[in-house]
Amino acid sequence: MTPVLHIDPSLTTPEIHFDLEKGHFSIKGSSYPENSLKFYQPVVQYLADLVRTHTPSPEKTLILEIELQYFNTSTAKVLLDILRYFEQLYEKGQPVQVRWLYLEDDTEMEDAGLDYQAAVKLPFELVALHEEA
Amino acid sequence: MNVSYEHRTLFRYEGPLDMQLLPQVIKSVEQLLIGEKIRTPLRRKIISILIELAQNVIHYGIHNHFLPNPTISLTREGNDIILSIANPIHASQELFLRTYIENLLAMSKEERTVLYQNVLTKSDYTDSGGAGLGIMQVLIKSDSFSYKIESLDPEHAYFTITATFHINNS
Repeated sequence: MTPVLHIDPSLTTPEIHFDLEKGHFSIKGSSYPENSLKFYQPVVQYLADLVRTHTPSPEKTLILEIELQYFNTSTAKVLLDILRYFEQLYEKGQPVQVRWLYLEDDTEMEDAGLDYQAAVKLPFELVALHEEA
Repeated sequence: MNVSYEHRTLFRYEGPLDMQLLPQVIKSVEQLLIGEKIRTPLRRKIISILIELAQNVIHYGIHNHFLPNPTISLTREGNDIILSIANPIHASQELFLRTYIENLLAMSKEERTVLYQNVLTKSDYTDSGGAGLGIMQVLIKSDSFSYKIESLDPEHAYFTITATFHINNS
């Protein structure tokens, strides 16, 4: 499989950068595409392939960072699917850390992070950012 | 006694709505809410609801020159921000929408939240790649909610959703 997946951001979709070599996976921006399932299809395919082919490296932690300003409900559903793939990697013995980044006074986004934290069995950290980037 | 009551239209759009226009609408509304000194959590809540409702119009509304256009309006009434979105629909959708919304309205906020989580985690995507959660999200996040469906002709109706947000809750 291709070790790097990169999708440039647009006004309605986030920047996606998944780098297996570096163990860093990030989703950043706003996410309200016209069809979330279609937009995230390459991401889901990448992760399905990763789950199928990856040999766990206990010494290396895979970090998934999610930093979203806005996301629609169909993205909410895809995000859960994405987290489920990381859950499968974690269950296979691969250390994984999820970092949910949100603006410190954005309680909406903090609550969303807490919901995901409760929904998956993964090391899941909520990180409050002090000012908008 | 000094009674002050504020009623101002902050934003109004009437016309075709598509995914090219939506980011501009969101940017404009966000700037207006910042100008109204609406704090981040409430501002983001309102924008999230705007996105859901506008995308419902884009996905499910009828685009026909002979029918009224979709409208988006944002008003301030005292300590409330009121978001209203309307669009033409097929008359055949009316029964489904009324039944669906009335069922949600009959639930408590907690019951709606549980249903939301169930749909999010267990249901399939809709044909348009959506989650089928838009209206549920509006009911959960707004402080009050209303809707109306007015007949335009035997085949079409005009569907309006209005969500109110209390500024003090932000």
